[in-house]
Amino acid sequence: MSSATVSAGIPQAKVPMRTKVGHVVLYVVLVVLLLAFISPFIIVIINSFKNMSDITSNPLSLTGEHGFTLENFSGAMDAMNFWTVFGNSLIITISATVLTILFSAMAAYVIARNPSWPACALLLTLMVASMVIPFQVLMVPIVSVYGGIFGVLAHRVTLILMHVGFSVSMATFMFQGAIFTSVPAEIEEAAEIDGCSKWRTFWSIVFPLLKPMIATVAVIDAMAFWNDYLLPSLVLTDKNLYTIPIATQVFYGTYSTDIGLVMAALLLAMLPILILYLFLQRYIIAGVAAGAVKG
Amino acid sequence: MNNSWKRIGTTALAALAAVGMLASCGGGGDSAGGDSDTLTIFNSKSEIQSQFEEMAEKYTEETGVKTEVYYSSDTISAHLSTRYASHNPYVLSMVDAKDIYSLGPDHALDLSGEDWVSDTTQAISVDGKVLGFPVSIEARGLMYNADAIEAITGEEFNPEDYQTLDAFEDLIDELKAGGMETPTGVLKEDWSLAGHYLPQVYEEREDPTAFLEDLHNGDVDLNSDAKFTSLMDTFDVLMENNYAKDSAISAEREVTSQNFAEGKIAFLFGGNWDWAVINQYDYTDGLGIMPVPQNTDDGSNTKLVGGGSKYFFIDSSSDVTDEQRQMAKDFLNWLVTDPEGQDFIVNTCSMVSPFASNTLEPSDPLGASVKQYSDAGNLIGNFNGLPDDHYSVLGADFQKYLAGQSSREEFAAAIESYWAGADMSNVESLANDTSSSSSTTDDAAANDAATDDGATE
Amino acid sequence: MPKTKLSYKVGQFLMFAGPAALLFALVVIVPFFYGLYLTFTSWDGVSLQKPFVGLSNYSAVVADTDFWGSLGITVIYSVITVVVTNVVAFLLAFLVTSGIKGQNIFRAGFFIPNLIGGIVLGYVWKFIFNRAFVSIASGITGATVPSLLSTTNGAIFCLIFVSVWQYAGYMMLIYIAGFMSVDASLKEAALIDGCSPRQAMWHVTIPLMRSSFVTCIFLSTTRCFMVYDINLSLTNGEPFGSSVLAAMHVYRKAFTEKNYGVGQAEALVLFIICAVIGLLQVYIGKKGEVEA
Repeated sequence: MSSATVSAGIPQAKVPMRTKVGHVVLYVVLVVLLLAFISPFIIVIINSFKNMSDITSNPLSLTGEHGFTLENFSGAMDAMNFWTVFGNSLIITISATVLTILFSAMAAYVIARNPSWPACALLLTLMVASMVIPFQVLMVPIVSVYGGIFGVLAHRVTLILMHVGFSVSMATFMFQGAIFTSVPAEIEEAAEIDGCSKWRTFWSIVFPLLKPMIATVAVIDAMAFWNDYLLPSLVLTDKNLYTIPIATQVFYGTYSTDIGLVMAALLLAMLPILILYLFLQRYIIAGVAAGAVKG
Repeated sequence: MNNSWKRIGTTALAALAAVGMLASCGGGGDSAGGDSDTLTIFNSKSEIQSQFEEMAEKYTEETGVKTEVYYSSDTISAHLSTRYASHNPYVLSMVDAKDIYSLGPDHALDLSGEDWVSDTTQAISVDGKVLGFPVSIEARGLMYNADAIEAITGEEFNPEDYQTLDAFEDLIDELKAGGMETPTGVLKEDWSLAGHYLPQVYEEREDPTAFLEDLHNGDVDLNSDAKFTSLMDTFDVLMENNYAKDSAISAEREVTSQNFAEGKIAFLFGGNWDWAVINQYDYTDGLGIMPVPQNTDDGSNTKLVGGGSKYFFIDSSSDVTDEQRQMAKDFLNWLVTDPEGQDFIVNTCSMVSPFASNTLEPSDPLGASVKQYSDAGNLIGNFNGLPDDHYSVLGADFQKYLAGQSSREEFAAAIESYWAGADMSNVESLANDTSSSSSTTDDAAANDAATDDGATE
Repeated sequence: MPKTKLSYKVGQFLMFAGPAALLFALVVIVPFFYGLYLTFTSWDGVSLQKPFVGLSNYSAVVADTDFWGSLGITVIYSVITVVVTNVVAFLLAFLVTSGIKGQNIFRAGFFIPNLIGGIVLGYVWKFIFNRAFVSIASGITGATVPSLLSTTNGAIFCLIFVSVWQYAGYMMLIYIAGFMSVDASLKEAALIDGCSPRQAMWHVTIPLMRSSFVTCIFLSTTRCFMVYDINLSLTNGEPFGSSVLAAMHVYRKAFTEKNYGVGQAEALVLFIICAVIGLLQVYIGKKGEVEA
């Protein structure tokens, strides 16, 4: 299957003569790699249109003897209560991503510019260390404290703030690296001489320069929030608040897993994130171009 | 530059404001789960979740009781422990038998006074109190595809003719001669090998608890144990004729089930829960479950092994109101006595009811076999006191045996050394709670040690 | 405004880092210490009593040979995965930032594995290893070839393979951001000064991307040490319990075996090991940054 696709994927006519050979090699390598990377994804797509029997007998064939079916999609959407859980996922992911970016970029700024302050050093150290805490360690304590003592579970706001609390450490870590490498301190000094406060300087000069990292963090965190299962399953104890990953859990059982439904649900769930990624990808490039001109 | 930061700022603020509004109006208000007017039910059988939800809707319409059904693919105890930690338990929880023993004393309501107690032999009692409501009966045995067998032998397949391994082997040879080169399948999952097959070694004897105590104390030589030998002899035949013999421990359950359903293989060790997988394929009609053939005369080759599977218990803590407890009790009674409740268990969920008053015939062939053996008193009880790591640890050793990487002697030694170091608290708690010995082969109706108290009270 | 005053510093710190620090403390630090307390009890996860047992859970950890075994496998798995992932991710990032046509499609394609959650990913790869590869290999050799997943080393290889496949696209994203933030004029200057493209890469681009390397290596290391979902759905510890990685062992200990205190203590040991490795890495990285 791969050889046909490879040759079709090489736009030989468009490659300028002088670099033709290099480009062809590059393209072949990239296309082969690309196929290797997305083949499991293609298998998911193919099988989401087949029934369980055909999936089991031959997961690699395009269609089975029972033919093409959309039942997996309608079945999955019904069983998940799709539009409700989709809305929940959207609200939670957007809020948590925006808050994470704002809070961690701010924290990263003060940390990056004042590494000698004990509070900054301590916070960064704790944050870096916390990234390696296995989630299982915090799982039961978190529900004991916030469910057992404060009783604030079963609210979207709680989950959003918890998502932010968990993700600020990595985002801060990434932002402070980006501030080091791509925001020259001289620009800020100039702004300060003009009378800008630190707050103003940060929002008008530093934050815009972080665009590529903002887009990166947005993709990484949005994806993590969108796909997260464990934390939401602990916090959202009410059915009406379920997010997509919790709603799809019903397809997995000890004695039976309906692969067809799982794959259909997966496709439905990942489309928004794919769109976000494609959108932000352009943004990464645009931001970098803008930053480069000014630097 | 100025414009761009303003735009970012405004967008972010607008997004935040919008999100805040959405989140607060959607998420606030009634913090559910804790609703004191809702009957929250935890279902741990994924295959009946959608049926359960539909039923809950209808139940709410008819009785006015707000009912919500939850499911988690997490381990039952892990999931429930997080609910307890947050003081937000389910009113009614469906768990495995062993969980009733571990959770029951702390968390379950005493149901001894309920009417249904006298209608079943499968309820679980701990310290003289009925804590567990049996949801269904499940039993293990050798599943057969009669259509596939009859297509080769040309005569009617009668499972009772193949109680001994010798007879069974003759049949296997006949099938092979008739063109079915590999008549059996073996599920390599650890829960099947060490959670379902291996425990028969303990269950198919007079006093499993005493046997396990002996095993723990090093007083048993499994290699000379008749039951271990006869079961492993049979397992060897299943293993030898496995359609996936060369790749036994990577054979997928779905593929094996499909082969069995479609008659490409004729025999597979399993139980009526397998119906949830088999019915997704183009199955033939003549399926059933028969006792595992063994060269033995203790009668165990005329019985299936099983009993109550999945139990409901009602939360007893102050996090649940008495009204909710009453709703739960009413719901359990509805399941037992109401025609709709009975129909739900048997026809909607394809389960075998553990209640004598529910006389509906199971709609699936595997369940029908189980009901037939159960009604005739031909079930050997489950032993519910195995240590929690039994199936995962010995599952790995059993897989080695299945893969041909260890001999039967080595496997026996692994079992013995596991039990020598095993945590015996589960075994002992079962022994303490039910002073009466669990007679297995003689009196199958009262076999489940745990049920004695419940049934007689 | 005197910028050396303590009140100024505190004010600045709270203004910028306050919200992040507060949420971080509430969500991570507080539960962490409560969890630490639980390691001194013999709680089983569900009962109402939490009997205090002192350090006995920790001596149980020391005596739990399976835990140390799984930790050993995890180290092997992590070292190989981290090295391969970062090499692949860096090369991918380099290729898709070299200005070739359709690079956006490639970037999206390489990132796609991350969009599939870990559990389903494991199922899909299990299909591929158990069915597709086996039938291809059997077709070629003419004999029945056992699945890689059914052999001890094969299962670990599959885990590494799938992990690399998934993480490489993710780390590529960070490397791309790194490539993008390297000032193009610096590279051009180096080329004008007579550097070959390869020299420019070694002496200009890579040193300037140091923070990307530190981030990626740190992230991939910690992810590897804590991997759970791929482990669960791809191998589930099989064959014969040989591919149980540390996080899975901890989870089973705490919940399947209902030994919550010991499980929690083992998780803490895992945490300390990760923390030491992680901090060491960041420290070395930072030191190099200053020197460069």
